[in-house]
Amino acid sequence: MRYMFADAPRATLTACYWAFLLYLLLPLTLMMAMSFKDANFIAFPIGEWTLDWYVKVMQDKQFLEACLYSIMIAAAATVSATVLGTWIAMLIVAEGIRGRVVIFALACLPAVVPGMISAISLRIFVSAIDMPTGTAAIILGHTVHAVPFVVVMALTRLRTMPGNLVDAARDLGADSVVAFFRVTLPYLGPALFGGMIFCVLLSIDDFVRTFFLGGYRPTLPMLIFAKVQGGMSPEINAMATLVLVVTAAVGLYAEFMTRRARTR
Amino acid sequence: MEPVVKFDNITKSYGSHVAVQNLNLAIERGKFVTLLGPSGCGKSTSLRMLGGFETPTSGRIMLGGKDVTRVPPNKRNVNIVFQDYALFPHMSVAKNIAFGLELKGHDRQHIHRRVSELLELVQLQDYSARLPSELSGGQRQRVALMRALAPDPEVLLLDEPLSALDAKLRQQMQIELKSIQEKTGKTFIFVTHDQEEALTMSDTIVVMNKGRIEQMGDPDTLYGKPGSVFVANFIGETNLLRSTMVGTEGDVVTLDWNGITIKADQGGLAPKVGGHLYVVLRPEAIHCSAAEPTSGNRIKGKIRQRVFKGNHTSLMIEVGGGATLNALVHPSDVGQLNGEDVWVGWKPETATVIPDRHAHN
Ligand SMILES: Nc1ncnc2c1ncn2[C@@H]1O[C@H](COP(=O)(O)OP(=O)(O)OP(=O)(O)O)[C@@H](O)[C@H]1O
Ligand SMILES: [Mg+2]
Repeated sequence: MRYMFADAPRATLTACYWAFLLYLLLPLTLMMAMSFKDANFIAFPIGEWTLDWYVKVMQDKQFLEACLYSIMIAAAATVSATVLGTWIAMLIVAEGIRGRVVIFALACLPAVVPGMISAISLRIFVSAIDMPTGTAAIILGHTVHAVPFVVVMALTRLRTMPGNLVDAARDLGADSVVAFFRVTLPYLGPALFGGMIFCVLLSIDDFVRTFFLGGYRPTLPMLIFAKVQGGMSPEINAMATLVLVVTAAVGLYAEFMTRRARTR
Repeated sequence: MEPVVKFDNITKSYGSHVAVQNLNLAIERGKFVTLLGPSGCGKSTSLRMLGGFETPTSGRIMLGGKDVTRVPPNKRNVNIVFQDYALFPHMSVAKNIAFGLELKGHDRQHIHRRVSELLELVQLQDYSARLPSELSGGQRQRVALMRALAPDPEVLLLDEPLSALDAKLRQQMQIELKSIQEKTGKTFIFVTHDQEEALTMSDTIVVMNKGRIEQMGDPDTLYGKPGSVFVANFIGETNLLRSTMVGTEGDVVTLDWNGITIKADQGGLAPKVGGHLYVVLRPEAIHCSAAEPTSGNRIKGKIRQRVFKGNHTSLMIEVGGGATLNALVHPSDVGQLNGEDVWVGWKPETATVIPDRHAHN
């Protein structure tokens, strides 16, 4: 008896874990399963299986265009967020900077402001400076949202950097620009790579900001949203499944790469 | 010959704390010079000022005849070997060494040749493609040294580069460092708080204390004729006998130490009768025997402690009045010292006197 109860907390934990996994994976599995169903309605039983929906998606010009558009926005937002975020992180660790706590807090703010509030304020800002909604505005919004994540990742790495690496570079004849590009940046490399992948995923996934700042051209989430409003069909499931598989693969690859770099 | 490095009345303070005070130091080209002193005495600060990483509060630093006081580190022809090496972790050994050469704008062929030449000098030819994380401590040390030597600096600065190594490897590296310095003919400025290290390698030792130079000279002089109590205590083991002046006969002074009359070399001092002096008596200058010595200083004492140290035995000898002396005895002489009783003797010229700064004489 005693032994059975001694194991109870562990057994409960295990049970909770499996319940969580089920809760997490069941909807996704259902969604994927339905994308292979050879009928127009999303319901059981599945009956016939088919790949037709995927063929249809791949031939869907709207979908392909939305994909391209999303990727372009993600790329632009990621590049600008990485540059800005790294810059801010360098500023925070620089010698003789006053108010680094304030700089850090401000840089992190966009990550904690609710998406809705952030979206509305960005919209107001954009119209206040007479910037048209559309591509540029979306990139701006996504950049602001992504900067805090880059700052935090870059800072974490910078804090583990031996202080005299830059001294050594300068000692050997590098000015501060060369020292940054040849020593600091490569040292930050793995952290920045992880941060960039995260920015891409954040941007591709973003709906609220895009919705408020967007023009007529739909990004991927906006397209899916529009299609869902027009009625569910297994085609949407196929689309969603494709997005899921690609983003998961990218995320896992990034994790694998940063882990490998860290163990070196 | 014009000195390659000159500290001209350099003072460096951090707020109200003075790290280096009125430092005047000229260093000759091609010498192995060591800055030696206890922790916090301003050795690293002096070195960093020469490297360009700190700006002196006042004074001038001359390098090769030019005033470099306000020249940034990347424009100075000196290189540092850092205590923890500071090798670039993402670059191979060869890339690390090539770094300074590339920035000097040398062509590829020249860089390649110089890198292999330097790797050969420390027998690391087979390691050129490795990352620093794949090297042992001693190998990293050598790479750091070669990286700093590669751009052919006028002066090489080393800030306690051996302190991260274990005792055995440290001794080996001391010898290697010295031989590299001799082979390359470069001026080395080496910082350490280890007096043994300083004695082993240096042409000149600069003993620092509380931001000032206490004494400067070659190892023999510093060991044999320390100029102050601080130096005598800091370098090597020593017996310091606080004595009162009794009289002078030529170069030899007669002193009274706890009621015992001893003679010592006058050492350039001209003390007054009745003044106080310290006699510096190194443990190995003392000769212990069972029979009374026929000449020189001799005192009868009792052996209170024997410590066997392998190639010698260290004795603590009580000589009356509660005073004790430390003596080193060769294994072949220990045999005759069976009982407690012993005769302690030393030649007057092997002991030197230094003034007692705290007394008015
Ligand atoms: N950046 C700084 N700010 C304030 N005080 C400093 C700074 N750098 C050094 N000091 C002080 O200056 C004094 C000399 O420091 P320094 O690093 O030159 O000592 P050191 O002789 O190299 O000692 P160690 O053998 O421990 O390395 C110390 O009292 C130290 O506390
Ligand atoms: Mg130091």
